Amino acid sequence: MSESASSLTALRVAGVSKTYGVSRALADVSFDILRGRVHALLGENGAGKSTLVKIITGIVEADSGQIFVGSKAVHFRTPIEARIAGIAAVYQDPKLFAHLDVAENIFMGAYPTTLAGTVDRKTMYERAESALRQLGLALDPRSLIAGLSVAELQFVEIARALVADLQLLILDEPTSALTPAESGRLFKIIRTLRDKGKSVLLITHRLEEVEEIADDITVLRDGRHVATRPASEINRTALVQMMVGRPIETLFARRQSAGLGKEILRVEKLGLLGKFAEVSFSLRAGEIVGMAGLVGAGRSEIAQSLFGIRPPSTGRVYLNGRRVIPRDPNQMLRLGLAYLPEDRDSQGLILPESIVDNVTLPIVGRLARFGVLNRASERQIATSAIATYDVKATSVDQPVSSLSGGNRQKVAFAKWLATKPTALILDEPTHGIDIGSKAQVHRITIDLADSGLGVLLISSDLPELLAISDRILVIAEGRLVSEFSREEATQEKVMMAATQDVRGLAQ
Amino acid sequence: MSLLAEKNTPTVAVQRRGFSEFALRLRVSGVLAFLFLVGLIFSLLTPQFFTVQNATAIASNAAILSIVAAAQAIVLLTRNVDVSVGSMMGFTAYLTADYASRHPNVGAELVLLALVIGLGLGMINGLLVAYGRVSSLIATLATMSLYRGFTYMYAHGQEVTSNKLPKWMLHSVDLRVWGIPALVIVCIFVVVLVAIFLRHYPIGRRIYAVGSNPLATVFYGLRIQRVVLLAYGLSGLLCGFAGLLYAARVGTVTVILASGWEMSSLAAAVIGGVSVTGGSGTVIGAALGALVLATIDNGLVLLGIPEFWRMFIQGSSIVAAAAVDVFIGARIRKSLQGQRFGRRAA
Repeated sequence: MSESASSLTALRVAGVSKTYGVSRALADVSFDILRGRVHALLGENGAGKSTLVKIITGIVEADSGQIFVGSKAVHFRTPIEARIAGIAAVYQDPKLFAHLDVAENIFMGAYPTTLAGTVDRKTMYERAESALRQLGLALDPRSLIAGLSVAELQFVEIARALVADLQLLILDEPTSALTPAESGRLFKIIRTLRDKGKSVLLITHRLEEVEEIADDITVLRDGRHVATRPASEINRTALVQMMVGRPIETLFARRQSAGLGKEILRVEKLGLLGKFAEVSFSLRAGEIVGMAGLVGAGRSEIAQSLFGIRPPSTGRVYLNGRRVIPRDPNQMLRLGLAYLPEDRDSQGLILPESIVDNVTLPIVGRLARFGVLNRASERQIATSAIATYDVKATSVDQPVSSLSGGNRQKVAFAKWLATKPTALILDEPTHGIDIGSKAQVHRITIDLADSGLGVLLISSDLPELLAISDRILVIAEGRLVSEFSREEATQEKVMMAATQDVRGLAQ
Repeated sequence: MSLLAEKNTPTVAVQRRGFSEFALRLRVSGVLAFLFLVGLIFSLLTPQFFTVQNATAIASNAAILSIVAAAQAIVLLTRNVDVSVGSMMGFTAYLTADYASRHPNVGAELVLLALVIGLGLGMINGLLVAYGRVSSLIATLATMSLYRGFTYMYAHGQEVTSNKLPKWMLHSVDLRVWGIPALVIVCIFVVVLVAIFLRHYPIGRRIYAVGSNPLATVFYGLRIQRVVLLAYGLSGLLCGFAGLLYAARVGTVTVILASGWEMSSLAAAVIGGVSVTGGSGTVIGAALGALVLATIDNGLVLLGIPEFWRMFIQGSSIVAAAAVDVFIGARIRKSLQGQRFGRRAA
């Protein structure tokens, strides 16, 4: 690295890798963030953006690779050390202390102190107030965090970054909670920082924002670095291609469409206050309907609403031709709808319990005679289930916690299918499981559809959705924004639809 | 002229008082109002209540509990609990009294001994909770038994009677400064010292932060385990000191000294507005809570109401205060995560 190059570089990421268990979050990622530039970091869900931010700020330790600030290799152990070096990050969800006041949150971990070692409140409130004013926020630094709006919380986080002697500001999806006017204010601040020679690393899903403000763009995909280019050299189509353009894994060939049966599930103008609204779609026997969208778009909320976990506030649901009002999961299970939650370890399975106890949990009522469980029939069901779904286990008494991610997922399948549903909602069924198990999960899903079940498949894995869905619904910011048939759907089209700015539509 | 100048200064920050903020700030004034109400009721019921002499008695009774309530409050702030406070007091009281009975010429180093013992016991709790990752209730329930059990074994059923204790120790608690018991002054001093520590030192603020949002602490470079260890250490230190004061006050130190104080200290802290879910409350509030309990105790005795009612009132005030706590906590959580999509999609 020549001297002139290092003086232009604010931060250099060199060969950074990180693995969580079996899944690879980052693989040998290298790029430079230049001084006085706004650098956009793009990628699909799970591409490794947030992990990279956590590594830069010292929350997570990289397995290998280095971070350079200027020409100096650094190794931050805490975000405070990063902050001292001039790097501050604003994370996606505000991480603040509700019981403390605004100024204390802004300075937590790095309080200005007096000679006696006490917190210098006078200085603290003055500096907090000037930072808030810089952001155009009329907020008393003495007011408590509890009671502020989400946008205000976000600005408090940004103020926290600004009071540091900043060289690089990292913003992880800062606008997802902001109104257009508030986003505009934030962009003005970003430009001011840039004009002062500071750098900004901006993570966003909104390509409009990238076009509006970014000088350079880095794209990550599956934890790998795809490209770093000046924004002027890439158009939107090229960008989307880079984000999704992996070869469709040959492991799962596209499914041949089976004959569709009668309508099993119809949803009309479904809404849940503050989460999603006006969602209408239908699901037929033998059909797999994919649901695409970004994290936080409201897909899981729609599923949980249908399953009665969070009953919908508006709209109508028809199951097997009958109008139903989802109230609780028990009722929906009885009516023939099953839901495999995204977070199977905390929501879908009881880890310390045995396979047999997990599999039969939703149907213990049916297996009991006069309130006493029939253990023999329990074991029989579990034994046939592990054979059907090819669960690698020594016996049905083995605790679920001792199984691998893929096998746990299969147990979760067996568990919900023991209820003999007519419609099944799968929420990210292949998230975090190895590629072999993934293919098996796809196989099971297709077999289920072929046997006459209607399947709603929520997934952030676009190749997977495209491979096994008959239709794809795209959810963005709580709205159903597009629907593609299997023939029309491409990764680019779905990604475009999912990343569009629908704020105008929603308001 | 001045009016004009005021108009020209940019309007600084609208005062915002959302419900949660209001509720959080209201708590200490709530305790004061409650104290006033209780005092008023007793004054109307018995003429013996509202006298200087009785007020002094109440303050003396509240004094030691206020220190222990402050200790409890520090731990509660970190979203943990310390039910071993009574056992730590008993342990320290017995050991220091025993030491004093063997060394008649012992001086102020007795205080140091009490502090060291208390600190050690507190650190054991802290290590179990912070580094051993044992749930705080279970860990301190266990040490509550352990510390008390050790005291029993050490004592062999003996008690240390007042004639074996050094005179200065017994007299010190009866001293008066301008008519105010020295014990009360010392306790106020200690509570204020702790309050200043929590309010004005960065580490004090960290104690609040850890209890307020433990998941966020990593983003601020706060080491949650150290903070929790410190909180328990402080709690032990204060309990050690309180144990010594209590020994001096009662004169005869038995192995059951201060049993049940975990309940009183918890009640005092919770009544004083310290949240059992962490992050909120003050030691001043907790000390005022101790005063409320002492006032109720005193009034009931004057009115000749049986001891049972004391426990009844203690229990129901914990339930009431905890209910308020849960209610406020729910509102705060709602305001923090709530309407992320709300304002847009709705």
